[in-house]
This record gives sequence, structure tokens and C-alpha cells, in this order.
Amino acid sequence: MSKELLKIRNFSKTFGDLTVLKDISFSVKEGEVVSIIGPSGSGKTTLLRCAALLENVEKVDLAYEDLAVCKNGVYAAKNVLKEAKNYFGFVFQNFNLFPHYSVRENVTLAPLLVQKRNKEEVEKEFFILLEKMGLSGKENAYPCELSGGQQQRVAIARALATKPRILFFDEPTSALDPELTQEILKVIRDLAEEKMTMVIVTHEITFARNVSDRIIFMADGYIVEEGRAAQLVDHPQNERTKEFLAFISREN
Amino acid sequence: MDYASMLTELLKGLLVSVEIFFLTLLFALPLGLLIAFGRMSKNCIVSNIFRVYISIMRGTPLMLQLLVCFFGPYYLFRIPLTDPYRFIAVIIAFSLNYAAYFAEIYRSGIQSIPVGQYEAAGVLGLTPLQTFFRIIFPQVAKRVIPPVTNEVITLVKDTSLAFSIAVMEMFTMAKQIASAHTTMIPFVAAGAFYYIFNFLVAFCMERLEKRLDYYR
Repeated sequence: MSKELLKIRNFSKTFGDLTVLKDISFSVKEGEVVSIIGPSGSGKTTLLRCAALLENVEKVDLAYEDLAVCKNGVYAAKNVLKEAKNYFGFVFQNFNLFPHYSVRENVTLAPLLVQKRNKEEVEKEFFILLEKMGLSGKENAYPCELSGGQQQRVAIARALATKPRILFFDEPTSALDPELTQEILKVIRDLAEEKMTMVIVTHEITFARNVSDRIIFMADGYIVEEGRAAQLVDHPQNERTKEFLAFISREN
Repeated sequence: MDYASMLTELLKGLLVSVEIFFLTLLFALPLGLLIAFGRMSKNCIVSNIFRVYISIMRGTPLMLQLLVCFFGPYYLFRIPLTDPYRFIAVIIAFSLNYAAYFAEIYRSGIQSIPVGQYEAAGVLGLTPLQTFFRIIFPQVAKRVIPPVTNEVITLVKDTSLAFSIAVMEMFTMAKQIASAHTTMIPFVAAGAFYYIFNFLVAFCMERLEKRLDYYR
């Protein structure tokens, strides 16, 4: 029985009068790949951003293993939050690479500046990462010289460079055309084979079914249904889930 | 008066103009950044103080600000005016005035950086200071070069306002020589010098812009 790496309890979030998330509880075990699917505005990205400390939340219990990050909306001290950031890497929909830095600088910035690791070691790992992402020879390129798919692979390398225990993907292929989408999905599939713990917010249902251990379906701020990936996609129980999956397959 | 000694006098004045120019930039460029932070402060008292400051600096003539800076200490506190203070007053007035313009340029640059850049830096664990100096400011610097160039070129010409408190810069010199010898030549020469000065400024700024052209 592997341990829980990320634990979120009683998570509610409101924007003004609008409640976007209602009492969500959610956890991820080590080595597990979890996909979150659901219609736009269902709160899935907000959930991921909460875990990555990108949203300030009034009401949540959030912990990475035994490290309590937030208790009932009260966040831990700065040094604890800093420690928590070592647990995860985050891949954005729009990549958010630093345009003024080369691929090498983008990827090695955090290991050198934040983690203050040995430069030689970081460089060595950087080239291994680069090869793994199929970007060998691109170390001195600037983001504007790369395709969208290449930029997103640099972003994944940047997230992996800090050696996170868990990797978050926020709609990693939504800004890419179908061909480039496949590039990224392959990278994620390879990471899943290496037993990287991942949480993926995505609209690629078939991909989610194939790559994840577990899928969570969210709608209107609730977790409507969750279960084993193939089970949930092939035999959804809830009416709302059925409706959504039927809609998606019609679209395709 | 022969042309050689006329030119020598003008060049002495040019040297003072150049000093005003560089000292103003030296103080106004960083001061502008501080004012921009004040203006963007979440504390509404602080941000309003800086809003009013910028409004006054931009809304009144630089020449008037110069006179206030120079005569103010005497009129208000009866501090006797000394000759070296003339030059200091120019630097103070110019720096305070130009910092207000630079502040607004920086503010527009800082606010044009997408929030995703802060978020990417945040999840990587960079502190707010590291985020600003490593990620945000380099990108702001590139974006603000064209409007800053505009201000810097205006500054070259504005140095002639020091004439109003009789600082011996190039325009003051030209005016003196012209009235003493009833000739247009010093004005033409001064005009040529200002033009060359600005030509060099524009050339340097263009070079700088090109150097930062390696990314978008």
C-alpha cells in the first residue's frame, strides 16, 4: 500500500457570490496517475492551482505527505510553503517559459538559484532531461525559436528539473494543434511508465483513459464521479458523466 | 571674437549640459522605479501619494519646478543661495521631474508582463525579489526602451532650461556670446551640437534595442 503524497480535504472556493468548488476532498498516492476531466468552469483547474499554491483559498486542508501546508484556510509559514514547492512541478497550458532565457537557463534556473545545487551536477542532469524530451541540440535556443510542442516539452523539463515527487499538468495540450498534442501526450505516457506521480487536467478523454490509473469527473464545482480510468470512461454510472462523455464523443 | 574661442566657450557649456544629462539619468532612472512601485502599491494611501506626485510633476512646467528648487530654500527658510547650489538645484529638479515620467513608463512595462510569468516563477520557488530581478525586470527593460528613448532625447534638449537660473550650460553660453557680439553663429553652432548629441543618443539606444532583439 503506497502512501498518500497529496491530500486535500474540505476544499471550498468562492469568487464573489459564485461558489466554484464545494467541499472537495481529493488525494493522490505515490506512483499514481490521476486525470481530472469535466466541462469548462467545473473547477478542475482551480483544484489543481490550489494544490500548487497558485490560489489563495479560504477553506481547505492541504498536505504533502506529513507536511501540513494549509489548515482550514490558514497557510503555514513561508519556509513550510517553500518546502512544499519542492514536492511538485507544474506545467501550464500556455507553457509560461521565460522568453529572455535560453532553454538551458529556463530549465536550470530553479535548481541553481532556488535549490542551490551543484552546477556540474545540474548541467549533467539537464542534458539527460533534454534528451529524454527529444530536444537534444536545443540547449541554447530561445523559446521564440521553438514550436509550441517543443516549448511545452521545455516546460516539462523545467518542471522535472527540480526533481518533484508529483507533477501537475493544467490542460497541457489545449494550446497546441493535434499533431503537437501527440508529442506531449507521448512524453506524459513515458513519464507514466516510469511511475511518475501525476495529476492531469485534460480534455483528451481517450488519452486520460489510457494513461491514468484513476479519473475524476468534475462538474459545477463537485466531484461527480471517480473511479478506475477504463471503468469510468467505458461504464459511467452517473447521468451527468454519461451526458458529458456522450457529448465529447459526438464532438470527436 | 574669433570662431575658435567661440567654439571653446560653447564646448565648455556643452560639457555642463552633458553633466546635467548623465547625472539626471543616474538619479532619475532608479528613482523612477521606486516611484513606480509606490504608484502600484496595494496600500491606497501610498499609491495616491505617488499618483499626486506624478500628476504635479507632469502637470507643471519643468522651468517652474527648477525655479522652486533653486529659490525655494531661500524664500521658505532664508537659507542663503550659493553658486554651487545652482547646479545642484538643476540636478534635483531634473531628477524629480524625469523620475515621474520614467515611473509611468516602468509601470506600463511592468503591468504588461503576463501574470503567467509570476506564476511560473512562483511554482519554481523563486522569492518575490528573485522573480522581479531575474524574470520581470529584464523583460520590462526591453519593452520600455522605445518610450525611454523618447524621454532621454527630450532630456538632452531640456538641459537648456538650466538657463533660467543662469547655470553656465551650452544654451546660456550661446545666448551670452550672441548678445555680446550680435551674431547668430553661436545659436546655429549650439543647435548643431544638440542635434549631434541626440543623434548619438538615438544611435546608442538603437544599438541597445538590437542587442536585446534575440528574444520576443
